[in-house]
Amino acid sequence: MVGAVAAPTGPQKTVWEDEAMTTGRSMRAGEAVLGGGLIALGGLIAVETMLTPSVGRAVVGPALFPYLISGGLVLVGLSLLREAFAGAVAHAEGLELDLWAVALVAAGLAVQFLLLDTLGWIPSTTILFAAVSRAFGGRRLLVNLAIGLALAAFTFVAFNYGLGLNLPEGSIVERLTSPDAE
Amino acid sequence: MDTLAALGHGFLVALTPYNLLWSAIGVTVGTAVGVLPGIGPALTVALLLPVTYGLEPTSAFIMFAGIYYGAMYGGSTTSILLNAPGESGSIVTAIDGHAMARQGRGAQALATAAIGSFIAGTIATAALTFVAPLMVKLALLFGPAEYFALMVLALTTVTAVLGSSLARGLASLFLGLALGLVGIDMQTGQARLAFGVPELLDGIDTVVVAVGLFAVGETLYVASRHRFETEEIYALKGSKWMSREDWGRSWKPWLRGTLLGFPIGTLPAGGSEIPTFLSYLVEKRLAKKPEEFGKGAIEAVAGPEAANNASAAGVLAPLLSLGLPTSATAAIMLAAFQQYGLQPGPTLFDNNPELVWGMIASLYIGNVLLLVLNLPLVGFWVKLLLIPRPWLYAGILVFSSLGAYTLNNNVIDLVILWVIGLLGFGMRVLNVPVAPCVVGLILGPLAEQQFRRALAISQGDPSVFLTHPISAALLIIAALLVIGPMILRHRSNGAGKNDSASPSGTHPAT
Repeated sequence: MVGAVAAPTGPQKTVWEDEAMTTGRSMRAGEAVLGGGLIALGGLIAVETMLTPSVGRAVVGPALFPYLISGGLVLVGLSLLREAFAGAVAHAEGLELDLWAVALVAAGLAVQFLLLDTLGWIPSTTILFAAVSRAFGGRRLLVNLAIGLALAAFTFVAFNYGLGLNLPEGSIVERLTSPDAE
Repeated sequence: MDTLAALGHGFLVALTPYNLLWSAIGVTVGTAVGVLPGIGPALTVALLLPVTYGLEPTSAFIMFAGIYYGAMYGGSTTSILLNAPGESGSIVTAIDGHAMARQGRGAQALATAAIGSFIAGTIATAALTFVAPLMVKLALLFGPAEYFALMVLALTTVTAVLGSSLARGLASLFLGLALGLVGIDMQTGQARLAFGVPELLDGIDTVVVAVGLFAVGETLYVASRHRFETEEIYALKGSKWMSREDWGRSWKPWLRGTLLGFPIGTLPAGGSEIPTFLSYLVEKRLAKKPEEFGKGAIEAVAGPEAANNASAAGVLAPLLSLGLPTSATAAIMLAAFQQYGLQPGPTLFDNNPELVWGMIASLYIGNVLLLVLNLPLVGFWVKLLLIPRPWLYAGILVFSSLGAYTLNNNVIDLVILWVIGLLGFGMRVLNVPVAPCVVGLILGPLAEQQFRRALAISQGDPSVFLTHPISAALLIIAALLVIGPMILRHRSNGAGKNDSASPSGTHPAT
């Protein structure tokens, strides 16, 4: 009766096998970092608001809500800190996280936004596609690059010519195609 | 009578071949994207925003209506066959729906979900047709103080209802509120928290934040977990049709689910999570064989799915008539309205009747199209579940960056997307719900505006919020929602500790 169709993500052999486990203690540390971050953000908002000279004659100026929200952030941050050290945290028993894959996906996105204006949409998006595919265990780099290129080219054509949007073709390409522009 | 005339006019708008085409495209891509694992309705709408940029507003929102309903249908397919609910409203469906799929009754589960969604969607859209104008009349009684109180209530319910701990929900809410501060203050023109970056003067876009949290954060999380989790997809086998018994056991839950879903959806009560859950409990109480619940009872798919779709229609009532988003998906729809320079509310009904009523009429049409798309063609959508995961998630990120970039044609939005994505990953790992952040980001500045208007009218007297009866009542309800659970938790703390953190790894992002 039941037919399990090929589950495409089988476990793969990996070389970075051992750094995956995140313990309950690091979950607590993570929650503490979030709490501390919120407190810091609250402080930043309060300081920045204090330093901004106020304009306007309204009954309630533009500074009230930033102060309220920064106060809220500090209070919530404190209560998260309390939870981190004394209360219940998520996945207190630990959670396996493949941080290498996370770093690769994040790097792919960073490369895309760093290169987008110079190289243009098609090359930078192809790199993004290949990086994310690799992070999800896709090992055939050339196939992934080819599919990424096809998808990037398709979206470029469809959105720029079909829907009138402005995906960048890249300053390098622009310089090559119109040499007398400068 | 006025309403029927307006609706009739809406049908004339929606049934022009041009708009009908956009409605059909909307439901099709909405279903296709909604079926993809990890993509719930909120993200579907956000990702498909760029597709509508080239259209004039009426056609764009007709297409949006189709995308919205299509995403709801598509999401149930994923939760039933893959046990991967894309949003909180499908969690309950996934329990018994996936159990049915394991027993080879996936086709029946999909059928009862699709027909139930059609019936619930149609009844609820009819209800929306009549409730929305009433809400507009109500909205005319509202001054800034009442609007502010209503927004506070909506922010509170979204935060208090979702997630395992109040502190984590509030953390998400305040992050959203803080992000909403960035940019030029609407009333004085003063720049706030822009840190000298000109691109930040326009504020941080709701769509960028939603895509960052729902798509980038979720993809990072799945990347970190996919080596440790295996997924099973069950093929559709045997009879595709519901038996007499299936029909007999489904029709009452469909109607009861609709009755629960629509009214709760119209309240600022956090969208579809509560009605789907209530529907499950009601059906279990009324079932002849409650022991089957959790093991593949068709009632437990029929009721919650109907409730889910009915609440999706219900959410549109406060969104269109008050400009009040009560779910993450509605927050993104509101952002879409703002993109076109439109502000939902009574004035929208006065100034753009073609758009509002064309959109409502297209909801009826979309429902019919979706029934056709989802009953005979369901096998086609199931194939989308088989896309290899590396390419699926790579593709999701390509479209996420496309959506973020094309908002303002600017790389800064991609940097913001990246930062928010990493933040979303952290929130996902720590079980911090992300919906309050999205709703807080869009509602925060609106609430501030109403607050300052109210005080300007009262000449600085802050008691207006408590002397106006409607405003006072709304604020008291909001306060009770926060304080009530706190007291209950304190009382039960003696009995048993450690009640909050839920260990599940399959929780959806909302």
